[in-house]
Amino acid sequence: MTPSSPDIPRPAARRHIRFSLSRILTLAGGTFTQLVRMKVFYFMAIFAVAVIAASFAFADLQTDGQLKLLKDVSLASMSLFSMLFAIAGTALLIPRDIEDRTLYTILCKPVPRLEYLLGKLLGVVFLIFISLILMDVLFSVVLYLKEQAIISEQVAALQNRKFATREMLEANIASVQESMMGQGLTWNLQNGVLAIFFKAIVLTGVTLLVSTFASSTIFTIMASLAIMVIGQAQSLARDTLLGQDASIVPRAIGGAVSLLFPDFKGFDIVDAVVTGSAVPALVMGKMAGLTLVYLVVHLMAAYVIFSDKEL
Amino acid sequence: MSEFPAVSIKHLTRVFRLPTLRRQSITAVDDVSFDIAPGQIYGLIGPNGSGKSTTMKVLLGLLRATQGTCAIFGRDSARVDSREDVGFLPENPYFYRHLTGRETLAFYGKLCGIRGAALKERTAELLALVELEQAADRRLSGYSKGMLQRIGLAQAIIHRPRLVVLDEPTAGVDPGGSRKIRDLILTLRGQGITVILSSHLLEQVQEVCDRVGIIYKGKLVREGLLSDLMSIEDQTEILLRNATPEVLAAVRALIAGQSATELLHLGNPRTTLERLFLDVTGGSSADSREYVK
Ligand SMILES: Nc1ncnc2c1ncn2[C@@H]1O[C@H](COP(=O)(O)OP(=O)(O)OP(=O)(O)O)[C@@H](O)[C@H]1O
Ligand SMILES: [Mg+2]
Repeated sequence: MTPSSPDIPRPAARRHIRFSLSRILTLAGGTFTQLVRMKVFYFMAIFAVAVIAASFAFADLQTDGQLKLLKDVSLASMSLFSMLFAIAGTALLIPRDIEDRTLYTILCKPVPRLEYLLGKLLGVVFLIFISLILMDVLFSVVLYLKEQAIISEQVAALQNRKFATREMLEANIASVQESMMGQGLTWNLQNGVLAIFFKAIVLTGVTLLVSTFASSTIFTIMASLAIMVIGQAQSLARDTLLGQDASIVPRAIGGAVSLLFPDFKGFDIVDAVVTGSAVPALVMGKMAGLTLVYLVVHLMAAYVIFSDKEL
Repeated sequence: MSEFPAVSIKHLTRVFRLPTLRRQSITAVDDVSFDIAPGQIYGLIGPNGSGKSTTMKVLLGLLRATQGTCAIFGRDSARVDSREDVGFLPENPYFYRHLTGRETLAFYGKLCGIRGAALKERTAELLALVELEQAADRRLSGYSKGMLQRIGLAQAIIHRPRLVVLDEPTAGVDPGGSRKIRDLILTLRGQGITVILSSHLLEQVQEVCDRVGIIYKGKLVREGLLSDLMSIEDQTEILLRNATPEVLAAVRALIAGQSATELLHLGNPRTTLERLFLDVTGGSSADSREYVK
């Protein structure tokens, strides 16, 4: 250590910025880098294998059955991976920062605790976003190729058949093309991917909340999984337990429960999307609103717990 | 520069409740008060578990005080903005292992609001200061303990704080490395920066600190300027070179003739183990070795 370091003029006392987007982005960038360097993107290889295998499998199915299978497998894998990233990404990082005391080195800088939480959340959400885009692009390309292959196969088959007039052949070809394109790559499918993204965001918020009071990674993962399962089942439970005409108090309790345990049923449009029925913009808008409400509620609760937490 | 003391701790008490059914509690810090003037180097010493780290964590707002207050340059530790002016190296620090040394400094620099060319410059400057330029682009997962401690010191001072809090900065570091850390602390003092450190290496504390506090079972039992605490006023040391047995005998005889003076010790002074180790190893640690294929 050279004791020659010159006396650098100190900057005038900085004014503290109460809320700094750039600090949040620094924390988010750090979180994203950490997850990437934990090699999470290797999971994408599993996805690629699943999608490509699904596109070749069951060639003896009906043609639209083949497309449906491909869509089913791909969207289910996207959903699985995004939820995995949401839970594991959040649960691996915050409890670990606490256990390793890395958190000391961050919070002893002028970083408000809310910014730390926001940074972590944003980092994980960004990872999910990037991975969904990668999966979506791969899936779309494979689906498009498959769709084109089936169309040209069927058009060839039609051309070999004898039609009375040329117009009839062309009408048949057009109808094949139309029905296949409805089953193939459509914008409506992107709604399904967006719904998966929304669901993963909600789950990230839930896991963040759990990790602020959990004492270990494993507990965070288990508790978040449990909340997810309860969330899936709760609307069913609510309907059977409360019935349609329950009084105000049980309804209020039910409402509170559904805030803590998000009702994921509202996000289940993937089946509809796969069969090709169009999702109205209003439904997507409602879903976005619901995501925001859940996120804000969970983040607020997480902040209340975390700001009082003894490290 | 400032009318406030760098650190002001008043009647600080911190009780931990154990999460057991019997509601046991432990008073980790018990009514501790002291001030540190700007520019001083303050050593907090005491046996394991005596409350040094707890005091520091409350000072940095990582733990709440059960009673009493802490302030840094007049700003209460509970406020986030009090952390503008302080850098902290926790004990046994862990940083993100997946980052390189340079990225680590950049990360903490950005959290402190430094960016762009200024950040780049400051990072390079600090890497040079803590002699980690060779290892700057290696990940921390491959750093030795001494290197981690040095990168930790660099991140603590990245935003040029006026106060630096070091919890056992030399724990687990070899004598050469810990001497470098000592030199760095003296460099900080040269820049007018206030330092509070805890350590079990009393010799080092003695070398660098202006003022020390001895904390035992949560209570501050002694506190003051080192020179005041260390001098034993009724004793005098004489150090001779090449003294022949005749000279020694004459000295003994002279002292024996004085009724009020008593000879307490006569013999060869001992070198410290640290000094011996430094002589043998040349005072350099093995961190600067380069990897070879
Ligand atoms: N989070 C905690 N919960 C319960 N007890 C705690 C906690 N942190 C510290 N203690 C207790 O408070 C006392 C003081 O601990 P502290 O870490 O401040 O000591 P220290 O002086 O830094 O010791 P060392 O020299 O070993 O680092 C110890 O008895 C310790 O067991
Ligand atoms: Mg300690």
